[in-house]
Amino acid sequence: MQGNVSKSVYVICPAFNEARTIAGVLAGLAGQGYEIVVVDDGSSDGTRRVAETMATTVISHPVNLGQGAALKTGIDYALSRGAEFIVTFDTDGQHRPSDIPRLLDALVRERADFALGSRFLGGAQRTPVLRRLLLRAATLFTAVTTGLRLTDTHNGLRAFTRRGAAALRLRQDRMAHASEILAEIARSRLRYVEVPVTIDYTEYSLAKGQRAGDFVMILLDLFAHKLRR
Amino acid sequence: MIAQALLSVLLGGVLVYAWAEYRRSPLVGALSIMAGLAGLYFVWMPSHSTLVAEFVGIGRGVDLILYLWVCISLTVMLNLHLKLRAQQETITKLARSIATANLAAAQEAPAVTAEEAPQPAPPAAADAHTSRRMRGQSA
Repeated sequence: MQGNVSKSVYVICPAFNEARTIAGVLAGLAGQGYEIVVVDDGSSDGTRRVAETMATTVISHPVNLGQGAALKTGIDYALSRGAEFIVTFDTDGQHRPSDIPRLLDALVRERADFALGSRFLGGAQRTPVLRRLLLRAATLFTAVTTGLRLTDTHNGLRAFTRRGAAALRLRQDRMAHASEILAEIARSRLRYVEVPVTIDYTEYSLAKGQRAGDFVMILLDLFAHKLRR
Repeated sequence: MIAQALLSVLLGGVLVYAWAEYRRSPLVGALSIMAGLAGLYFVWMPSHSTLVAEFVGIGRGVDLILYLWVCISLTVMLNLHLKLRAQQETITKLARSIATANLAAAQEAPAVTAEEAPQPAPPAAADAHTSRRMRGQSA
């Protein structure tokens, strides 16, 4: 972490059945001065046990709720502990801890409340063609529905100020949370900035990631959300 | 006449349900009210269903009712989906409360030293699904 960001930084790591990768991810985050919070989302493969052996706070959902719910649990916890900055960081190994200081510096330098990682501004390792097309479609969808001009709308690496995180009203438990976060950023009218980050695609992270069919469910979830008060 | 009376009672029930539902989901409530009123109308004016069907280019009144029934079924499915979502939100809040309460219990539980080992740990700490381990520089 660089000089001008010295306040408490909470890194929220949502995890569902990530026993294979979480130890490496947490080891990469350790020793940076961050408060690391793993939200185990009802894993059945020993993810919680592995996380507990590391230097982390582990919050365990008794049942699987979804990544959106895990993020909200972690964000609420961090806010309750007085976090000044909150970072969301996936535990499938696709993010690089070295990108976090750049997100935090961008928040301070740009006086922004949201710093969103973008693989298309930085370097994505071996971005598959279908995934690239889906992400482009999601970018267009976000521009139309929220007015946000972004290059990457489904990147799990983000940083918020305390004010930004408190402004987010998150209700989407599952994959639609990424779109919901952007819609909430637009609604808050707070300043946001995109920061180049690198995504390390592996067979494992691609298998855990979203598929084309998931976007149908995301659209259905977003539609249903609008119907019910 | 018996069938008309029976169907009227059933459709009256649909209207009451739709009115109650309107407060939670205006769209679903409005669609259900429209469906109920249309049903009542055609029950008492069956010949008009054929007139309406011919007007919209369907042909037979029976077919019109069939298509309307499909629309009503889809509306009901949508409403069920919305109710399931609302239930899921409640479950999420409950699960989150349990998770954070367990964490708080684990954090507040006194550390068990070697001398204190024979004493049983508080049940909340022993059963907690959460824990906080302090080691190294981050916590």
